[in-house]
Amino acid sequence: MNATRSLALAAALAAAALAGGCAEKTRYGDARGVETLTNQFGSTDLQMMAESMARSMNQAPIIASANLPVVTVQEVRNKTSEYIDTRAITDSIRSELQKGGKVRFAVDAAGMSQQTEELKRQQSELYAKEQAAEMGRMVGAQYRLEGNIVSIVKQVKETKDVYYKLNLQLWNIRNGLLEWSDEKEIRKTTTRG
Amino acid sequence: MNAKVIVTAVALGMLAAGCATKKGFEVPGYAFGCPVGETKVGSMDDLVKAKVVTEGRRSTVQATEMRCARTGDLLKIDANLNNDSKSVKRVSYKFRWIDREGMRAWEEESWKPVMLYDNSNLMLNTVSPTTKAVDFRLILRSDE
Repeated sequence: MNATRSLALAAALAAAALAGGCAEKTRYGDARGVETLTNQFGSTDLQMMAESMARSMNQAPIIASANLPVVTVQEVRNKTSEYIDTRAITDSIRSELQKGGKVRFAVDAAGMSQQTEELKRQQSELYAKEQAAEMGRMVGAQYRLEGNIVSIVKQVKETKDVYYKLNLQLWNIRNGLLEWSDEKEIRKTTTRG
Repeated sequence: MNAKVIVTAVALGMLAAGCATKKGFEVPGYAFGCPVGETKVGSMDDLVKAKVVTEGRRSTVQATEMRCARTGDLLKIDANLNNDSKSVKRVSYKFRWIDREGMRAWEEESWKPVMLYDNSNLMLNTVSPTTKAVDFRLILRSDE
């Protein structure tokens, strides 16, 4: 009888320990903290690149001296070996610049279909004519922002080195001149063991 | 006789001008170009103490020098970090931007990790994100 009890107790303890080990624990973290879980492109890289580029662009003579220049965001080409949502980088840059109050942004190619659809919708007979947005009033951008992100990955035995470089350029749409360009480099090395 | 008097006067004038433009303290409320308000800042050490805050783990990496300048209507900052140890050190930093009322002029920046070689310096450069930012703090934490 005692042996049976001991066995049952041991089984209960083992089950409890197993359940404890499998239990998930979720906690909120610092969204702006340094993230080093892997050496793939991560949130810290995105935040550092966006901040560095936005601050640099804010100092560009064409932005600092002009009266709220109008910029459109074009593609940042991903030339790395991994999937990177480059739109997230340009969205962050755009947010920081917009909040800084020195630049205005015109609708970009990605948002054009929604913009024209809404314009067309407002032109329909459903809307009051005097309040509806008129056709032919959209403001064209003076500058376009585009760039590339590249990476160089090297691995020797247990060490993996990743180098990222984001290059952005601000082009004058009217005359084709390059008005501003800057780069942000990041190096991450992971060693196992 | 006249020439001697003129030379002496010019020399005195130059000396006085030299004393009057003690570099970094020419504008009241500023030290080394950085806004200090009412805080008494008589040296670079005082300025670093007033502007640098350590959060989390302390590091042997220290801010040793700081200079500010206006670039248009934005505040440009150079801050030198020094690692005087015999090993590579890793720290993170961010700037905190303060407006005229002493409130936050900008959202909390992301931590930026940097690496310092042994016995070396690293210059951090930044510029304020908005014209509302008139003051700042440099926040450091150890990543060791």
